[in-house]
Amino acid sequence: MENKLNRYEKIAFLGEGQFATVYKARNKDTDEMVAVKKIKIGSIQEARDGINRTALREIKLLQELKHQNIIGLLDVFGYASNISLVFDFMDTDLEVIIKDTRIVFTSGHIKAYTLMTLLGLEYLHDNWILHRDLKPNNLLVNKQGILKIADFGLAKTFGSPNRIYTHQVVTRWYRSPELLFGARKYGTGVDMWAVGCIIAELLLRVPFLPGESDLDQLTRIFQALGSPTEETWPGLTSLQDYIQFKPFPGTPLKMIFTAAPDDLLDLLSVLLCLNPCKRPNCKTTLKMPYFSNRPPPSKGSQLPLPSNLLDPEISQQCVSTRRLFHANFLGNKRGKMIVLNC
Amino acid sequence: MAGNFWQSSHFQQWILDKQDLIRERQQDLVVLNDEEYQKIFIFFANFIQVLGEHLKLRQQVIATATVYFKRFYARNSLKNIDPLLLAPTCVFLASKVEEFGQISNNRMISTCQTVVKTKFGYAYNQEFPYRSNHLLECEFYLLENLDCCLIVYQPYRPLLQMIQDIGHEDQLLSLAWRLVNDSLRTDVCLLYPPYQIAIGCLQIACVIQQKDGLKSWFAELNVDIDKIQEITRYIINLFEMWKLYDEKKEIQSLLAKMPKPKLQSNR
Repeated sequence: MENKLNRYEKIAFLGEGQFATVYKARNKDTDEMVAVKKIKIGSIQEARDGINRTALREIKLLQELKHQNIIGLLDVFGYASNISLVFDFMDTDLEVIIKDTRIVFTSGHIKAYTLMTLLGLEYLHDNWILHRDLKPNNLLVNKQGILKIADFGLAKTFGSPNRIYTHQVVTRWYRSPELLFGARKYGTGVDMWAVGCIIAELLLRVPFLPGESDLDQLTRIFQALGSPTEETWPGLTSLQDYIQFKPFPGTPLKMIFTAAPDDLLDLLSVLLCLNPCKRPNCKTTLKMPYFSNRPPPSKGSQLPLPSNLLDPEISQQCVSTRRLFHANFLGNKRGKMIVLNC
Repeated sequence: MAGNFWQSSHFQQWILDKQDLIRERQQDLVVLNDEEYQKIFIFFANFIQVLGEHLKLRQQVIATATVYFKRFYARNSLKNIDPLLLAPTCVFLASKVEEFGQISNNRMISTCQTVVKTKFGYAYNQEFPYRSNHLLECEFYLLENLDCCLIVYQPYRPLLQMIQDIGHEDQLLSLAWRLVNDSLRTDVCLLYPPYQIAIGCLQIACVIQQKDGLKSWFAELNVDIDKIQEITRYIINLFEMWKLYDEKKEIQSLLAKMPKPKLQSNR
């Protein structure tokens, strides 16, 4: 493995957190740009447990997955008790694109991002993998306009009956109501909900449901979508952390997303269904009229890029809030991370 | 992972060719003959099994560890890493990959010490010689030699499905299950997909229990019968060898003969 150390030439520092440091690097053999995620050794105790479990989870899953819309794991190297994962280099992520106020989304842009996300997710679910942490900054985008789902540190295989899962997953704003109510058995619905929140964010250009606590998160969900009842969601009241909310009537989606066409509102209304059993899977979702109606999804080359990537001068000197890998893995709970982008 | 076997690293990278195995082992087979080589691997498969049972691991984890072990030496000479160190390393890595709780490094080493002393005294006169730093270093080496392919498909799940299809046959299942465990003492896990191994083991179990009524069930399987015959041949050969083999008497001299890492590197 030591030979591989010299294969990659560090070009720029991209981000740092509790668990990993990410660098942009060049593969000297192929001249390709890559992202090297160097896993930090945590405590002495952790170091004694050998290869980091989160890294191992990413390695084992990504080694089996090959899809245009899933980040590619290119290489793994290490020395001593230190391990680095080499990924496709991605220029930016959806969070940065959404926040860039100079970018105006067309319907085609939104459809393209939605489509690529769902295609990647469909492949994951077909392979019995739940991502469990979908959010805009885990959806990486390159200059060719290809979106890839990244960060599998929380991903998990599913499908074994009666398996108990932790509900402390998914960054809060994208967390589904069943997780917030402490469900220990859940399925693809948690990822579908997150996709609904991401589409909503593409439309609003700000997070749709930015809860400040788990309770506030539920309140925001029900204010927007109406409170569920045992009738609309059988089994609701027996969830572990269920609490009664005062009944909210909810707001019609049309009023929240005033600019969205009807076929997109139809899509949102099923993805943001409070009852997880009523949320469709990726295959069903992809067959909805939204994807066959006009306008067609924009081609990759027509998708917008954040201004720091377009203007070489800015990108060379500017301090941006751009980051490559999501905050959770890097150990930053959900706050923004200031990263030097030089 | 219950993903797609046909697109898995197991199917695409790790179903090896018999000729490749022979070629890779050439170096070791100068020193050991085929049978001696197999006996050493049986010994270490047992060692992994006992380690796993001591740590109360599920059979799935033990089987994965055994396959890691065999994959490593499918590409390396026994002298590259002492199998006495690689075996616990495989258990250590497999327990993490299969998300089986936390086995600390220290617990792993102390289990090795206990097991070597209490269960394998007939093979080793001395204490288990390795420490945690060896284990951690070895783990990286193992991961690299596995080409980071960590998900291993096992015959247990297809076996359960087939038994379900046949109808409730508890005795048949438990015999076939044990045959799958035994198959880890042969090369079949390196050469054939797990569903074929499951069918092979089920077939032997049917013959032993004289389940003639299942002939038509086998006849309807859409499977390469030649491959199944090859698998059963491997397993039957194992039993033939076992009949005449007393591990307790032979293993010390085999281990002494085994190619070993040079303590001082020549590099």
